[in-house]
Amino acid sequence: MSNTQENTAEGAALQEESLEGLNVRESPSVWKRLRKHPSVVIGSILLFFVMALVPLASVLTPLDPTEINPRNRNKPPGYEAVYKNDAGEKYTVEAHMGTDKLGRDVFTRVIYGARVSLIVGISVATISVAIGLFIGLFAGYFRIIDTIIMRIMDGLMAIPAILLAIALVALSGATLFTVIIAIVIPEIPRVVRLVRSIVLSIREEPYVEAAISVGTPTAKILLRHVLPNTIAPLIVQGTFICGSAILLEAILSFLGVGVPPEIPTWGNIMAQGRDLFQIFPHNIFYPGIFLTLTVLAINMLGDGLRDSIDPRMAKEI
Amino acid sequence: MTEPVLSVSDLTIALPEDGDRANAVTSVSFDVKPGEVLCLVGESGSGKSVIAFSCIGLLAKALKVQSGSIKLQGEELVGVSEDRLRDLRCTRIGMIFQEPMTALNPVMTCGDQIEEVLLEHTNYSAAERRTRVLNMIEQVHLPDPDRMYRSYPHQLSGGQRQRIMIAMALILEPVLLIADEPTTALDVTTQAQILKLIKELQGEKQTGVLFITHDFGVVAELGDSVAVLRQGELVEKDTTHKVLSNPQHPYTKMLIASVPKHEPPERKLIPESNKLVLKTEGLFKRYVTNTFSLGRQEVAAASDISIEIRKGETLGIVGESGSGKSTVARCVTRLIDISDGKVLISGEDIAKKAQRDLGDMRRKVQIVFQDPYRSLNPRRTIGQSIIEGPMNYGTSRKEALSEARELMSLVELDPDGLDRYPHQFSGGQRQRICIARALAMKPELLVADEAVSALDVSVQKQVLALLEDIRNSMQLAMLFITHDLRVAAQVCDSVAVMSNGKIVEYAAAKELFANPQHEYTKSLFEAAPGRHFKFAT
Repeated sequence: MSNTQENTAEGAALQEESLEGLNVRESPSVWKRLRKHPSVVIGSILLFFVMALVPLASVLTPLDPTEINPRNRNKPPGYEAVYKNDAGEKYTVEAHMGTDKLGRDVFTRVIYGARVSLIVGISVATISVAIGLFIGLFAGYFRIIDTIIMRIMDGLMAIPAILLAIALVALSGATLFTVIIAIVIPEIPRVVRLVRSIVLSIREEPYVEAAISVGTPTAKILLRHVLPNTIAPLIVQGTFICGSAILLEAILSFLGVGVPPEIPTWGNIMAQGRDLFQIFPHNIFYPGIFLTLTVLAINMLGDGLRDSIDPRMAKEI
Repeated sequence: MTEPVLSVSDLTIALPEDGDRANAVTSVSFDVKPGEVLCLVGESGSGKSVIAFSCIGLLAKALKVQSGSIKLQGEELVGVSEDRLRDLRCTRIGMIFQEPMTALNPVMTCGDQIEEVLLEHTNYSAAERRTRVLNMIEQVHLPDPDRMYRSYPHQLSGGQRQRIMIAMALILEPVLLIADEPTTALDVTTQAQILKLIKELQGEKQTGVLFITHDFGVVAELGDSVAVLRQGELVEKDTTHKVLSNPQHPYTKMLIASVPKHEPPERKLIPESNKLVLKTEGLFKRYVTNTFSLGRQEVAAASDISIEIRKGETLGIVGESGSGKSTVARCVTRLIDISDGKVLISGEDIAKKAQRDLGDMRRKVQIVFQDPYRSLNPRRTIGQSIIEGPMNYGTSRKEALSEARELMSLVELDPDGLDRYPHQFSGGQRQRICIARALAMKPELLVADEAVSALDVSVQKQVLALLEDIRNSMQLAMLFITHDLRVAAQVCDSVAVMSNGKIVEYAAAKELFANPQHEYTKSLFEAAPGRHFKFAT
């Protein structure tokens, strides 16, 4: 334009400067924010200890979690229980958390129980997030199939997890796999809804339209431009699913429709201590503490992750 | 010498430590006298809103007044208690915000919201309050005050909502009115009415007005005096006439020179022999909604649009919000499906083609969007964004990257910046990157959908100059969508004015600006702020 040249030299210099001045403002990295967030730190430490129980179980206790010992039935915490090894030699082990009504060591069972709880939590979270992400991406991006998918999801959401678990266990027997499937199915629609809502807003973003107008194929648009936006909320959602799955598994086991009773899970231990709860509360108290702490740790981690990863939350901090 | 209603002296407001400069506002001093309109002008980030908010005690917690004083009729406001500030708001200081929809409570009727001010600050009886509110609604020239009293904000138009805000701010006849970009979100004709209303009410009651704006047209229209801010520092302050016609500071000179002029400059005629790049014939876009209660409803967002653009020509589409101009842009780029009509791109009709058959057309037509902050994927480097298109069409990565480097130089950015992410660039720079991305496809037609509307005036000027250079050197055909007549006057060879989805006037820019034919075009021209003011060049 002609009046550009008519500017004074000083004005032109100013113009140059505003053009050059790269407005670089690095926000602190996600990793840095995570390390500073108290919930993330406390949650991770707690979770680390619970997870450490899985590989260290055999080191922490010499006993078999399923070994029945009628002489040691219903002993209080601190009892010196006597066991025989294969060679027939006697040895004593202190029952830190007492024993249950079949004489099994509660401490050993609680430690081995962490295994099942974490397997359930992590696999439910992974499977439901993976399936939900896939369905949600399609439902959100392709409007034609959206209505059909979402009605199916509404239907799935109406099924209570516990009833579904009872039905599945009745059909195919109580196994860890059945329990995981029973918890995954009602979780999927929640993930689908979350992903769909994100996709719905992202597909209207000008950068997606720009990608369309430079001829990027739909699959690549979904992969490059839409999918990355769902990752952060899904990590957060995944931790919450993990926490609630652990809780649900315990509830199912407690009700007797979960994992078979011989497999130690926190829910099973509590279920078996239920009858004598008033006289021997340790059977419920200790697994209960572990369950609470684990779910709390996962939820704290989830809260912290949401605050640190979600850019909208980050802005407010 | 009358005592000023607002006296700001040596005001310094610190930014938090991680801010991009030490102070939001540095040693700013000015007075607002009774009946005076002082316009605070500056580009985004200049600290003008911070000053406004500090005057009414609504500063964000992270910002602290470091030194200086703000006196309202001699009473110090810096460090005064929250209770005292609450007493002063509305009774002695009124405020109008930019976005009238978010500034009003959506679940309260407008009447109740205005009445709340009286309820809070006066002892009037219910009947008296109602009469006063109705009176005030009448004073801001809203039709049918009774109905307005009962209406919820969403039932009113943007302009009407802003009138309600003004009624609320002025009902207790404050001595000072602070207006923070009150017309920026409004269409030009509504803006003209609101400015007139503010001027009228302020004149009647001798209210001092602190008017925050970025638009020199508005300043020319309304301001008695002007204070120009640059990065928190006051660079020039004088009467409007002096500043606009004879600016002293180089920054003010640059800003004023950047304001696009109303008169189209001389442009070379586009020869008839040039290839017709875009031609639409009777283009329609209808939206159909099927609801249970209302049945089938059809809204035509664009009707019977017939336009032509030749190689090297720029066609502007001008109109207010909701006029359908962006719909046309999106139809031409086939981001939305077309209901009816033909869209010929270099002779080939693309109106009815399926998305998968549009590959060839996508190469030829590129679009630059309005919002530079949302047009680039924040998770991809700008290099990745620019080479995406060419790579879709088989260019090797290496080749695409070397072309991208050339394009970066073309849009006057450092080619080494390709590895950076969008958030490391300013708005104007991002818009340049978007232009580079569009050019990477070597298009024949470039659609610019409000491409400079979100930019500050000096940056806008640079981007416009860039577009103009590119169009000249590459002989691009350009479809330029804008709501800003001044911008259209500067860059367009011909202009189509749209209203309610239809083109009401379509002529060569020179002709249209010199002698508008249609009533609507005339009213748009008439409403343009600062039209009659002779700016310094």
